[in-house]
Amino acid sequence: MSQSRVANKYRLTSWQWLFLATIGFLWLAPVLPLAIQSLAFQWHWPDLLPEVWWLTAREQTRLPIGWDYIFSPYSHLYEAFVNTLIIGVSVTLITLIICLPAARVLAKYPFKLKPQIELLFSTPLLLPEIALALALLIPFIRLDISGGYTGVIIAQLVPTIPYMIRILTSAYSGVRIQYEEQARLLGASSLQVFRYIQLPLLIPGIIAGCLFTFLVSSNIFLITFLIGQGSIETLPTLLFAKISGGAMDATAAGLTLVVMLPGVLFLLAVERHIQEIN
Amino acid sequence: MNQPVSSLNLWLALLPATGLIILLVGGSALFVLVQSLGYAPGYGINEFPTLKYYSQLINNPGFGYSVWLTSYYAVVATIIATILGIILALILRKQFKIKPVTQHLYKYPLMVPYLVGIALVVLLFSQSGIVARVALALGFIERPAEFPALLFSHQGWGIIMVYVWKQMPFMTLSIYTLLIHRDPGLDDAAQLLGASAWQRFWKVTLPPLIPGTLSAALICFAFNFGAFEVPFILGGGFPETLPVQSWRLFNDPDYQHRLQGMAIIMFTFVALLVIFWAQYRLVSTRPYLRQSKTQ
Repeated sequence: MSQSRVANKYRLTSWQWLFLATIGFLWLAPVLPLAIQSLAFQWHWPDLLPEVWWLTAREQTRLPIGWDYIFSPYSHLYEAFVNTLIIGVSVTLITLIICLPAARVLAKYPFKLKPQIELLFSTPLLLPEIALALALLIPFIRLDISGGYTGVIIAQLVPTIPYMIRILTSAYSGVRIQYEEQARLLGASSLQVFRYIQLPLLIPGIIAGCLFTFLVSSNIFLITFLIGQGSIETLPTLLFAKISGGAMDATAAGLTLVVMLPGVLFLLAVERHIQEIN
Repeated sequence: MNQPVSSLNLWLALLPATGLIILLVGGSALFVLVQSLGYAPGYGINEFPTLKYYSQLINNPGFGYSVWLTSYYAVVATIIATILGIILALILRKQFKIKPVTQHLYKYPLMVPYLVGIALVVLLFSQSGIVARVALALGFIERPAEFPALLFSHQGWGIIMVYVWKQMPFMTLSIYTLLIHRDPGLDDAAQLLGASAWQRFWKVTLPPLIPGTLSAALICFAFNFGAFEVPFILGGGFPETLPVQSWRLFNDPDYQHRLQGMAIIMFTFVALLVIFWAQYRLVSTRPYLRQSKTQ
């Protein structure tokens, strides 16, 4: 009797099913009107569905009107995409290089100020993005690195470092130091130890860290917007320009779907590594 | 057991990352602090040290309301996200048919910018949005104006919805990670000893989750408190949240106002520091809360 009660505990109650269904609906259903809006030609109050779909108006536009604009040079989507990529890749590589040695020390060696250093790496989570961006803006203008890639990349290092440190530290704690000691006893140099022992064991963590850092960077809006001074267009700044008026048209809906793409790809491709983030 | 490493090598390894954080975060904080105290030669202002900008702030009738709005949006959203996150994490611990797909799907808001959430909320909940149209079709309202002003109002339901949409997955992930590292035998034991589901939740499941949940919730709160684009687009106009207000002041042609903006940023930062320090004290002075992150 109590055996079966314990087994039942691992099944969902009907309340839990209801909760799951409600959450699922609230979180996923909104994507549908977004897709519909992006394909609509005319969709005014009070219609539940567009009064004119692209299909009926297809003589007038080659593509659905929203998408036609998005893929045209006027939307700057291509530039925004390339900029997001350039900034994201640079931020990821720089973060990786400066975090690898620090993560190794944090994972493997006890030292006096360790709790303080760990706390230091979470301060960027405390500092509002607007504080960072407005404070860096004037020095960066002096140094002539605002309004370009350099300034945006340097500023984006701050919110990305905490995530990279966390993921790499947890990756390093999985690497047993005995393997390195054995290799050293057998006469391996430091470089060989890194190349043949550490690196292969670290690769999954490094990949997860890089992809997540890239994702964080590609989602940053305010820092790019303020430090870039309007001359660096990325996917989030493009979407901001479209929806900051507080209204949604077909273009804004299509653009929202485009901006969601990197995250959704990440979810499908590398999601199993995400446990390491916590 | 660990191989000895000279403390010089150790600090050299830490230097690039810590140096950068100290320089940029510390530098930013210092820059904001001295400007808010009246030192801004770039603007031709040098009254250092003066508390004038802080007193102007406190005497500004909108400021108190700004603080209230910022805290209210941040707190309500964090509480809702935390409660939903606990329930979903408990569900995910169980076995059910669609669990693998659920485990993937619920995380998608984590992966996309807040701006996507803003777009969804505008599309659905504006007064001529999809939900208002459904309400019309069902006969609840007759004109867009009759639909409650969820967006662009000081009640801020739109702002709260975006925060919850984005942060519920974060809370779920954090709590779920705490849950799977816990001994499931305790729960079984409590059940065999006759504890009801409710008792097991409050007495067995919840207590060890508190420190981890509290620190995850504080990360959400800190983000919400300092967030810009969500209240900027979905907010109800003056007085706005502290970050939006500071941005407006910063863009003011009157340099004096810019320094007042810096005072707001300093206030926001210090408020967050105090709250985190309080949480740190709370957890470290109460042994029953000190289950540490290693759990």
